[in-house]
Amino acid sequence: MFDAPCIAEAMRTYVLETAPVLALYLDAHHCVAGANAQARQVLCGEALGRPFAEQIVDFTGSLDLPSLIRQGGAVHRLTLGTVSGMPETLSFRFFPLPDGALALGSFDFQEQQKLRDEVLGLNRELNNLTRQLHQANAELRELNELKNRFIGMAAHDLRKPVGVIMTYNEFVLDETGDRLSDDERGFLRSSLAAAAGMKRLIDNFLDVSVIESGHLRLECSRTDVAEILAGVLPLVRLVAVRKKVELLTEETGEDKLPITVDIAKLQQVLVNLLSNAVEHSKAGQRVWLVACREAKELVFSVRDEGPGIKPEDQKRLFAPFVRAGTRKTAGERSVGLGLAIARLVVEAHGGRIRVQSKSDHGSTFFVNLPMAEGGE
Amino acid sequence: MKQPPDSPAANRLNPPFAFDEIYRRYLDGLLANDRHQCRVSFEQWLESHAELRTLYEDLVQRSLYEIGDLWERNRISVATEHLATAITESLLNLAYPRLFASPRLGKSAIVACVANEYHQIGGKMIADLFELNGWRGYFLGANTPVRDLKTLIEEKHPDVVALSVAMVFGLDTLISAAAEIRAAFPDVPILVGGQALRWGGRERVERLSGVRCLMSLSELEAWIKDGENHV
Repeated sequence: MFDAPCIAEAMRTYVLETAPVLALYLDAHHCVAGANAQARQVLCGEALGRPFAEQIVDFTGSLDLPSLIRQGGAVHRLTLGTVSGMPETLSFRFFPLPDGALALGSFDFQEQQKLRDEVLGLNRELNNLTRQLHQANAELRELNELKNRFIGMAAHDLRKPVGVIMTYNEFVLDETGDRLSDDERGFLRSSLAAAAGMKRLIDNFLDVSVIESGHLRLECSRTDVAEILAGVLPLVRLVAVRKKVELLTEETGEDKLPITVDIAKLQQVLVNLLSNAVEHSKAGQRVWLVACREAKELVFSVRDEGPGIKPEDQKRLFAPFVRAGTRKTAGERSVGLGLAIARLVVEAHGGRIRVQSKSDHGSTFFVNLPMAEGGE
Repeated sequence: MKQPPDSPAANRLNPPFAFDEIYRRYLDGLLANDRHQCRVSFEQWLESHAELRTLYEDLVQRSLYEIGDLWERNRISVATEHLATAITESLLNLAYPRLFASPRLGKSAIVACVANEYHQIGGKMIADLFELNGWRGYFLGANTPVRDLKTLIEEKHPDVVALSVAMVFGLDTLISAAAEIRAAFPDVPILVGGQALRWGGRERVERLSGVRCLMSLSELEAWIKDGENHV
């Protein structure tokens, strides 16, 4: 019954205008002489009049189109270049004609459906994983806050008894020192030094918990370079003298350069950098503290002639509890919080801290701080 | 537009003009499968600092209902509907930094779509609504076998389990999943919601003890806020 002329005409019209199949009329030279609407939509614009073989993506170079056409009726999987730029694979059947051939190509519906389902499924999974990631991040943030609160509370509660231990040690040494033997005085001094070390450690923990919890309050005031340096150098000079390390400053003419900072916090950072430099230096080596202006920034640099820091250590130097592989020359102890605190304090000022170092050629730490308005 | 009888989208007052305009452009973007246009509208809504709840109800839910309606009336293809859903889901990721920053109340919910249910966005919105109200909303995704659900309940000890069902033919699976969870965890309340319930099945579901149907996000939110009277 499909032989009826009206049905044949309806099918012809459908294939030419609407059907999701590619219908191509190939002439005797296998050039595209005619194409239905779908083929014109899918194939590159210049397909008409061009050899059909040019439309086919043939990686092996072994495609024998005339042979495929001669086989007539068999289904061949061919990949064509399309207007979208993406190649598409279609199933083609060729029907030889007296003066050429008819090529009919269709997409594999099941394959397309599978592709769609897979892409949608992957998208769902990706979105679910993204959601889980956000959720896990939120949980980690909560846990981190909890940890900071815990450290803060513990450090705060430990600080007082350590203070009491130090006070009583000092009191006993002051009041009864002359009645004690050298050994006994030595015991008390060791006990005092250990308590002082513990207090520094607790202060560092407190600093980290306060800074990380976002409760660091900078008490900024306007000052100048000279005032900052005057508060820093005496604190480190004693240790430097004891280790026979020369502590130097360079005259850069920037002493009166104004800067708005939390003076105590910035001095804490510079003391930490200078102490590190001294602790990594041997007798006879030198350490410099220099302040100079670079564009709109004030740059403090601390340079030493110590053993330097390996590149792999430099990358994680400012993270908490990280210690560089180098040893301090007098066996000084560290938990690796000083530089982490320095970074957090400098960043809270809108500045940045970095290091330049080479093995056996010393290290230079730079603290760049934005300069106060009117500082130019 | 045809709406199920108790659709919240049908009952709500129109949002202010600017939001209506953003909504229109967002919907146009979804219909054209234009992810960029949708993202612009979505971000405008987010930047307006309107409550996240309005974004979920007045932009996301409303547009998906409208898309679903157009599909049912053969005005758009199933591919367009699927792409619109995919775009919506990817855009929800933009809201998460705000969503998960809500203060926590120490309660949690496990939300899942039962086996063979591949429409997950409703379930995800339920989990997100729990988050918005200070609960942890764990979402297991589409097509979750009961076994996986039970494992997570065992692990997380949630205060409630919520099951989502979008297609009517998923109701039987949902009821049997709810019964299995009820038997294994008799003290954990179970909530059931989703588009499928709008066309019936509520009585069958609520025949199970400790299982309650909630017909809209507003009902769910009222349930969450009602703390003491759960199930």
